[in-house]
Amino acid sequence: MSTATGTAPAVHIEPSDALPIVSVAVTFRSGSAHDPEGREGLARIFARMLRRGAHGYSSQQIEEAIDALGAELAADVSVSSTTVHFEVIRRSLDAMVDLVANLLARPTFDERELSRLLRESEAEIIEARDNDRALASRAFRRTLFAGHPYGRRVSGHIATLRTIGEGDVRAFYARHICRANAIVIVSGDVTDAEGREVAERLLAGLPEGERVADPVPPPVAKPGRHLVFVDKPDRSQTQMVIGGLGTDAHDSDHTALFVANTAFGGTFTSRLMQEVRAKRGWSYGASSRVGFDRQRDSFTMWTAPAAADAPPCLALQLELLHTFRDEGVTDAELEFVKRYLVRSHAFDIDTARKRVHQRLEAELYSLPEGYHEHYVDHVQAVTREAANASVKLRLSEDDLVIGVVGTHAEIGEVIAKAIPRLASVTVVPFDVE
Amino acid sequence: MSPSAVPPPAVAPARRGAHADLLTELNRGRSALAEVRHDAAIAFGPSMRVERFVLGNGLKVLLLEDHTAPVVCLQTWFGVGSRHERPGKTGLAHLFEHLMFGETEDVAHGAFDRLLEEAGAETNAATFLDWTYYHTNCPKDALPLAMKLEAGRIARLVLRDPQVSSEKEVVANERRQRVDDDVDGSVSELLYREAFKKHGYGWPTIGWMADIQGFTTDDCTAFYRTYYAPNNASLVIVGDVSPGEALRLAQEHYGTLPPSTIPIEDVQPEPPQTEERRSRVEKPTPTQKIAIGYKGPALGDFDHAPLVLLNEILFGGRSSRVHRALVQEQEIASEVRGWVGSFRDPALYDVFLSARGEHTGAELLAALDHVLEAVRRDPLSQGELDRAKARLELGTLQGLETVSGKAEQIGFYETVLGDPAALFDKLYAYRRVSVGDLLRVARRYLIDSSRTIIEVFPDGTAEDDDEEDAEEEVAA
Repeated sequence: MSTATGTAPAVHIEPSDALPIVSVAVTFRSGSAHDPEGREGLARIFARMLRRGAHGYSSQQIEEAIDALGAELAADVSVSSTTVHFEVIRRSLDAMVDLVANLLARPTFDERELSRLLRESEAEIIEARDNDRALASRAFRRTLFAGHPYGRRVSGHIATLRTIGEGDVRAFYARHICRANAIVIVSGDVTDAEGREVAERLLAGLPEGERVADPVPPPVAKPGRHLVFVDKPDRSQTQMVIGGLGTDAHDSDHTALFVANTAFGGTFTSRLMQEVRAKRGWSYGASSRVGFDRQRDSFTMWTAPAAADAPPCLALQLELLHTFRDEGVTDAELEFVKRYLVRSHAFDIDTARKRVHQRLEAELYSLPEGYHEHYVDHVQAVTREAANASVKLRLSEDDLVIGVVGTHAEIGEVIAKAIPRLASVTVVPFDVE
Repeated sequence: MSPSAVPPPAVAPARRGAHADLLTELNRGRSALAEVRHDAAIAFGPSMRVERFVLGNGLKVLLLEDHTAPVVCLQTWFGVGSRHERPGKTGLAHLFEHLMFGETEDVAHGAFDRLLEEAGAETNAATFLDWTYYHTNCPKDALPLAMKLEAGRIARLVLRDPQVSSEKEVVANERRQRVDDDVDGSVSELLYREAFKKHGYGWPTIGWMADIQGFTTDDCTAFYRTYYAPNNASLVIVGDVSPGEALRLAQEHYGTLPPSTIPIEDVQPEPPQTEERRSRVEKPTPTQKIAIGYKGPALGDFDHAPLVLLNEILFGGRSSRVHRALVQEQEIASEVRGWVGSFRDPALYDVFLSARGEHTGAELLAALDHVLEAVRRDPLSQGELDRAKARLELGTLQGLETVSGKAEQIGFYETVLGDPAALFDKLYAYRRVSVGDLLRVARRYLIDSSRTIIEVFPDGTAEDDDEEDAEEEVAA
């Protein structure tokens, strides 16, 4: 059951007595897109500060209280949202709700804790340089969405973290953390009435406030083909991500593109996996994805070939994309993938947590009415003509970003040569951010 | 497990006549290999029950009915992992896991996954030191297809080139991704190599690169014939299915498979380690790191539960002792973690520390030693122990949310300890652990002379430069 009237907080409950645990998420419709220019990372720092001091509790006391209750608490930030979520053994639900309500309503934002957290966050940014896949993803998004909020790093940069002060954190809290900007989901071992009471208690200490507008404009395609090469020594393997703009959940052809992409690179036997892994053994994984946020997000192809195989693998992927746009999916591929999506849908909704998260997603991204409820019907209705038209309309071969992590001195030149009509090459040291 | 670790009886002897009518019906006209008998009804926590059946050919069928969603998880656990390999042929169990998705006498290359995906199923597999398992999540209607295909590849897999060569390439790429180009992966591999000089836990499950590239089709065929037999397997079925349907399908598809003679494992116990071992490596990583392996108990050992709790107190979350000391108070580490190995034979208690900024591995080790000295010297507080127990209780419950989560616990504990409900034995064991138990295991296992240390140094290429303008534009 759900409520979402006017600017009241939206609440969704999904009871299940399968296990004696309860999951709760309090989401605010504000994320890193709301970071002020030059203060990138602020939303995430704010969220992490929530567990570092509240009325009557030091950071250490909060951690010990959570552990003693048999609970887990996390604060996550995306481009469009800030979420505090927790899971707790049923017998400790009341005490955990009291604790989290206190964290939300009466955080202390202690200056010493903030300094400590900022130093920790800097160290984590440096540590993240060990993750090649994440390096490829960031280089890709930074280039594709240059100047747009989707191109920003949620965790910020060392330079921007150093500009964040206590006043910034308090200002973010004051503007975004209010009832009207909140969505609460509760699933697990509660009744509907108990779940509603939990939601009300969690938000009781917050001001009514106003729903915060989404500041994100529609992204604009970056014209031409651009290679961004993240140079890292001693790479025996490359991480490659190729793509451009993808879909918006409000597009009339959104489901058609989703279905077509699933045939192209969304399953283990899809075209991309067959050509790259099964036939050639070039990469352990090969997939494509059309994600979405409140605005149009990216279409991406992912592979991780050995350094020597990277140029031919890249050329093959560009060829596959060309064929995909030119010829689309076949009748057989379409029928296959529709059967897969419809039949596997049982696993999209097999737990209370998954079901209630679908409702959170619908609220947060303002998804079209019935987006999840009529998913199967929407998939069934996709025709080959619609699928192939969406591929041609939404996916570009001309406007592409190619993100590669590898050793530039060894393969930089051959990678660039494998990309016809390349407009620019940018080489970035792996430790640049 | 020693007698004092045995929880209140969870394994009740099969009641006389349990499932008798069903079994009589199922066994009518079946061959001896396909005849099924009920072995035990085993409590799986306070409200669930695993039924264990055995076919005449030795195949165990473990069934947990869960009708909360119209889905089923089918897993096949084999009692073979990388420990059963030999030097020069490391990685064979894992390569074989890949090959099992190939051609059979009944199903063309590539069709296994295609048929299951078309039915809405999702498949995967995993190999580790003690075991290999195959996993299928499917809508309930697809269970007959899934079991038919599973049984087919156990009995009639076709092994030949170019598929074997191609899969070797895929595995080589997996190794590059997970080990060669991954600091954590390569350090963990080195740690186990240095810690185990005799036992098979010393070589990596994915195998050494030269071994992966050297496998022949004959190697794969010999491995298949040796280990892939019904009497070396446990079929775990969890979900919206009745015992009658599950057992009928098992008889129909697996009941013709003959058992094999599983070789007696030539296990080489690891001699006691009496001196600290140290190795140093350079990696393209921004900060120093240190990995430490203390010799730890086997999963079934009485000391395993207290050591898991001690690890939780030392490394579990932000209130843990090591996180507090090294990350929050001294600010010399950016990441700290610890894990007690869960293996059939005694393995390692792994610790990994990553330095912050210019701090060194030596500083990290000194700070860790200071914390460990305190837990060896003085009893921990009851409050710390209670918090660790609560964390583990939540973690246990979280792992049981899905049908595949339940199947994985059942299959793992059946394969490693012979008890599909041992997850709950562990939970009961955690509840009984005292502060004195923690002191004992700290003094028994956190010993400098039985530890192996890998020191990781940046190779000098990493710089602390955060300037975006370090990007270099190159003309296309």
